[in-house]
Amino acid sequence: MSLKRIRAILAHELYITKHSYELINDLFLYPLWSIIIFGFMTIYIVGSGDQIIGKNVLLGIILWQIVNLVQYSISIGCLWDIWARNLTNIFITPISIGEYFTAYSLSGVVKAIIIMILASLLAYFVFKFNILSLGLANLLLIFVNLAFFAISFGIIVLGLLFRFGTKIQAFTWGLLTVFQPLMAVIYPVRVLPEPFRSLAYFFPPTYIFEAARYNLENKATAWSNLFIAFILNLIFFLLAIYFFKLMFNKSKDLGKFARLEG
Amino acid sequence: MDVLQAKNLSKKFSTKGRSPFGRGYFTAVDKISFNLKEGEILGLLGPNGAGKTTTIQILLGITTPTSGTIEYFDMNFFKLPKDCLKKINFTSAFNTLQGRNTVKENLLVFSYLYEVSNPYKKIKELVEYFDAKDLLNKIYWELSSGQRTRVNFIKALLNDPKIILMDEPTASLDPDIADKTLYLIEKLKTDKKLSILYTSHNMTEVTRICDRVIFLDRGKIVAQDTPVGLTKRIETAKVVLTYSTEKALIEAYVKEKKLIHIFKKNNRIELEVNEKDIPKVIYGVSKTNIWVTDIELQKPTLDDVFLQIARGNRHVFKKN
Repeated sequence: MSLKRIRAILAHELYITKHSYELINDLFLYPLWSIIIFGFMTIYIVGSGDQIIGKNVLLGIILWQIVNLVQYSISIGCLWDIWARNLTNIFITPISIGEYFTAYSLSGVVKAIIIMILASLLAYFVFKFNILSLGLANLLLIFVNLAFFAISFGIIVLGLLFRFGTKIQAFTWGLLTVFQPLMAVIYPVRVLPEPFRSLAYFFPPTYIFEAARYNLENKATAWSNLFIAFILNLIFFLLAIYFFKLMFNKSKDLGKFARLEG
Repeated sequence: MDVLQAKNLSKKFSTKGRSPFGRGYFTAVDKISFNLKEGEILGLLGPNGAGKTTTIQILLGITTPTSGTIEYFDMNFFKLPKDCLKKINFTSAFNTLQGRNTVKENLLVFSYLYEVSNPYKKIKELVEYFDAKDLLNKIYWELSSGQRTRVNFIKALLNDPKIILMDEPTASLDPDIADKTLYLIEKLKTDKKLSILYTSHNMTEVTRICDRVIFLDRGKIVAQDTPVGLTKRIETAKVVLTYSTEKALIEAYVKEKKLIHIFKKNNRIELEVNEKDIPKVIYGVSKTNIWVTDIELQKPTLDDVFLQIARGNRHVFKKN
């Protein structure tokens, strides 16, 4: 693993972000906008008498930004280079897939931390919701688990992009949304009808969001949920790596990888 | 010394779903073997679909071959890809750098990717070599084709490569910029002792810069020689005579001598003649009443070789 090559991708990402207003919108404005909308919804729900449901909605939507941002950051990175016909130039350098993943994962995590800080401030000052009431250690555990899942999901989307190219580029910002209803982000998993409820338990975020809500309501850590989420995350990560390798090798075998940009 | 050795490289693509006869295979590269010597410019030529681009993609590791081996500097490319990729680079008219970033930002990114020890010094040195100092702070997408080509060359030299693969680097350039680019390639070869694998459709530039040429057709190597050596394999040349006598006179003469000919405008006739028979034909014409005002001799060029191969007339070649 070369730190210089990881730095190269991070610098690459930083330069593109600096020159791309739409990325600033996708990465910062859009998440904050979602929080504002759901924040007002929280005020409405709290005003109707149910304080805890209101807070759960806002908590879910703030934490969802971690998953969304990290996954988006990993997947969109390669699209910029496919669109610019620069992907071949990057992959004929000695960079390894591990270094590529590490760089984009780091970049996603840094962006998620920034947005979490901004979102927390926004929630605290505008909607009187203190996310730190979960406790710093709990918040950290939740963040790590959600980011871990997002990295795996990002790797899966990256594999699909390498295999099928720009014809499925909408997966970058859309595929995660397809699974969002199953992950019990803003409502408890028990509200899901069968078989969706059983299906929901295959996804690590389901346990994490349940743990976060438990934490908010009871001021205690839901260790078992966090532990199951971590184990599932490990399995997800290994499967994502396997799936990516499968897609990447198939793409190179079919000659598609070299033609992604042209 | 060989810096690159490709042995029995093959690439078959599945035609599943594309063929009315079900699953099949299309052979893009068919058991080709070649080598690139230190300091040599080797041209890889052939008509569209001959397998040039697939070969380059395999050599860069972005397409997996069906079979065969590649060795760079006696290292197995498939076992030690990183060690090989550190010493090679690539430039193409069809690949660009990140368009939104400035030239300097792009070059810095690739310096880090290649772990260049002093990136700023290296970029400065190359920018001066290519006279591109004024481009550093420009957005890559705002550059002209010629400027992009120069920047792509700078990128391709950041890691001090021993080999550069060039895929039609002068495509889409105007003749003046293309000429300057060729001059740069020639200068690079001399100054940096580079080995270059070069693909192009422009036979004049291939003749100018390549030491050796490989012709591919339908995935196979059909000819391999120096550019001059290849043109010498075509036995016939064209003799264009401008005459000021009646057309019927010359028509009767070529008919009698059974000469392959085409009448052209402005009283000109093009004769296709075996090279060794040229003096005899000219002498023969001079002994008739045909009044010839100009004789133009068109020796075969690499373009003719290309055309013969593209049209499937490999039989016109003499055996080497």
